[in-house]
Amino acid sequence: MAAIDIPEVLKFIDSTPPFSGLTHTQQKQLLSGVEMTYARQGEKMNLEGNQATLHLIRRGACEIRSAKGGLVDKLADGDCFGISTVLEQNPDGLQVLVLEDSLIYRFQKEGFQQLLQESEEFALFFAHARSSRLRKLSRAHATDLAAPALQLSTAISQIMSRNLISAGVQDTVQQAAAIMTEARVSSILVLQEQRLVGIVTDRDLRSRVLAIGASADLPLSEIMTCSPTSIDAKSLVMHAQTLMSEKNIHHLPVTEGDGVPVGMVTAADLLRHQELSPLLLINQINRQTDITSLREVCQQLNTLIVNLILTDMKTTDLGNVIAAISDSLTRRIIELGMDRYGPAPLPFQFLVFGSQARKDQSLGSDQDNGMMLSRQPNADEAEYFAKLAQFVCDGLAQCGIRSCPGDIMASNPKWRMTQEGWQQAFANWIEASSPSSLLNASIFFDIRCVYGEDDGVQQLLQNMQARVAKSSLFLATLTRAATVTKPPIGFFRNFLLESSGEHKHQLDLKHQGLALINDLARIYGLGCKRYHVGTKERLEQAAREKLMGLDVARNLMDAWDELNELRLQAQRQHWQNTGEPSAYLDPSELSSLERKHLKSTFAIIADGQTAALQRYARGYA
Amino acid sequence: MPKRFFQAFDRWREHRDIKTKPWHEHSYFVLDMETTGLDPKQNQVISLGWVLVENGAIQLDTAQHLLLDSAQIDDISVGIHMITESDVMEQGRRHASVLRYLRQIMKDKVLVVHYSPLELGFLKSLWQTQPMPALAFDWIDTMQLEMQRRSRAQEVIAEGGYRLGPCRERYGLPDYPGHDALTDAMATAELLLAQVAHFNGHEPSLQELVRMGGGRMRLSSNNKSQ
Repeated sequence: MAAIDIPEVLKFIDSTPPFSGLTHTQQKQLLSGVEMTYARQGEKMNLEGNQATLHLIRRGACEIRSAKGGLVDKLADGDCFGISTVLEQNPDGLQVLVLEDSLIYRFQKEGFQQLLQESEEFALFFAHARSSRLRKLSRAHATDLAAPALQLSTAISQIMSRNLISAGVQDTVQQAAAIMTEARVSSILVLQEQRLVGIVTDRDLRSRVLAIGASADLPLSEIMTCSPTSIDAKSLVMHAQTLMSEKNIHHLPVTEGDGVPVGMVTAADLLRHQELSPLLLINQINRQTDITSLREVCQQLNTLIVNLILTDMKTTDLGNVIAAISDSLTRRIIELGMDRYGPAPLPFQFLVFGSQARKDQSLGSDQDNGMMLSRQPNADEAEYFAKLAQFVCDGLAQCGIRSCPGDIMASNPKWRMTQEGWQQAFANWIEASSPSSLLNASIFFDIRCVYGEDDGVQQLLQNMQARVAKSSLFLATLTRAATVTKPPIGFFRNFLLESSGEHKHQLDLKHQGLALINDLARIYGLGCKRYHVGTKERLEQAAREKLMGLDVARNLMDAWDELNELRLQAQRQHWQNTGEPSAYLDPSELSSLERKHLKSTFAIIADGQTAALQRYARGYA
Repeated sequence: MPKRFFQAFDRWREHRDIKTKPWHEHSYFVLDMETTGLDPKQNQVISLGWVLVENGAIQLDTAQHLLLDSAQIDDISVGIHMITESDVMEQGRRHASVLRYLRQIMKDKVLVVHYSPLELGFLKSLWQTQPMPALAFDWIDTMQLEMQRRSRAQEVIAEGGYRLGPCRERYGLPDYPGHDALTDAMATAELLLAQVAHFNGHEPSLQELVRMGGGRMRLSSNNKSQ
């Protein structure tokens, strides 16, 4: 029996590019003699002798490092390594480290080499992977920032303090405080039968005991934070950082297996490992008491983003980090506004739309936001919210989040409504839709609550989804509107570059590429039973609900990552050269391979558009 | 008499030396069987799936998936058409050929199964269906390995947590929707690799694996081979 005849093997190969594009005979040829191996976390892959061959990750995560240890690339399920050992005996001495336990296919070198000769597309794919890694390698050499890159992907277990300071649930506040003082730490873990059940910090002692005059004889179980957020010892510094930023916490217990604590990481530990970090910035944002000082703090934002791009943070992680910062900034400014104008007379939610909602902002994203009030305000109350909204939008603009050119901002009275008002607005967009107005409104379907109770927004979304489900015409119209703009497939020969203005002959990666995928994902997202706001989550959900083939979804996600990465790199370069962000790419800066690859990326988008039209707009054309 | 004793002693020593070699120097025959029920005395084997592990890696080309023609199933409709590549096919002695093929492949290999009472029981009863030469081999049970490992670490595993799926999940191995004999044999082989990789921080010898969750077994038929 040949390896390709094993159902699970065939299924994986058939859904993983570039193998999926091969004929069955070619797949069989490539898989002849294939082995499956298991590599444990922390292991360095042996790529010598008969193991100097193509590897494909079935499940797991690895990273490629330069001979000196600089990060070159991160790999996960469906990614390949070992290419340069086959093509040219690994001249750069690249090493492959296993980040998570991995199940890996190891191919026979001969079959791979033969296929490279036979299939141009196949060869092109690997040549591209190779050249993009070389590019990253040269960057790892060129920048001083290779060091932070190392640290972001350092395992938590390497920087955590292993000296566990703990107490039992029945121990008193007094005892815990004594232990903490003795050990000179700012937090203590509360254990029950070896397991982590709570945490008490200096701040808790202050706010939950001293400030309210509670007794020092209380058991810790009364004042501790129960089931605290913790992180697995195998996670990376980067994960810890994201987690702490998202939850706004400073002490992160490290656990192994089923919640047995093995260490502790504090914000200070992380700062020691990186001077300018998202967490530090968020901390600083939360400490500022006026817009002027907030503006100063935020001047670091672009530098931070550029650093993160340089450290090859994954685009989705980068999006999450920027969103966490923007959200904190927004919340802080709202708080400052309430300091100035007094507390809100009625509950409200501050909504964000578009890229901040989808968590895919980059350098120079602008603000799109609105407010949802719990009821119709009277004249005074309306006046209060007008002032507050103006303060927030102005504040954001001063802090570097530019005003929205389309005036989709909370400061615009049109976008301050009650829940019923928003429901009606969505109903109007869904039911009385003309293609062009619909496309302008589509940004509102990417919505997230950054201040106030999330429930109202969830209700709004449910209501909206129910309406969408009833109106078959809506998705058809949205699909037709969203597919009017086609990706620039005729790259270079008859390339539809922006033909006028400042960006003549440049490629707009955002509007000619990324936005098209966002639009497609939104259409499918609206068709899904479970609503997501992020583009990749929507595509994943659509594949899960079988609205879209798994390979189409994967291809689109890959294309999205690819374009995002290109855009971020272009923005970084432009920002470093001019101090201004720009999403435009000068095609002459791309290698011919990158151009070909970009072309296939655009082809994937075009295929996605065709599939969407087939699914949602057939019969309405 | 002393001569025979020494021969036996040499064989024992040779076997012991082999067993202390690192695990990857041995070949493993990872087997899963699909049966009509859970009782080897009452029920029958419908199909066998296997794959070999050599040099510490699963050799995917060695995978096999064979249907057995049991008494209840019509010879012609099912047959053993899936072993077309093998010579046994042409011989046309279905049940018997499969067993001989199996014996030939299992020779000098370590048997690996998930949940040995069942799989060993069915192998035994298979050997009774035909006059077969005897076969002795070491075996490893990935379920027993897992139980030993977890109990040494004093981990409590919920009921059903030692089935193949949950065991694999603990090592981050992918979820395979199919549960035919071949898929489960593949899944067991991957689990073995994961368990070996997590073996107390060093590469185990075959002996260590067998001690932790295995044994030695001899299969023979009542009627000797013709």
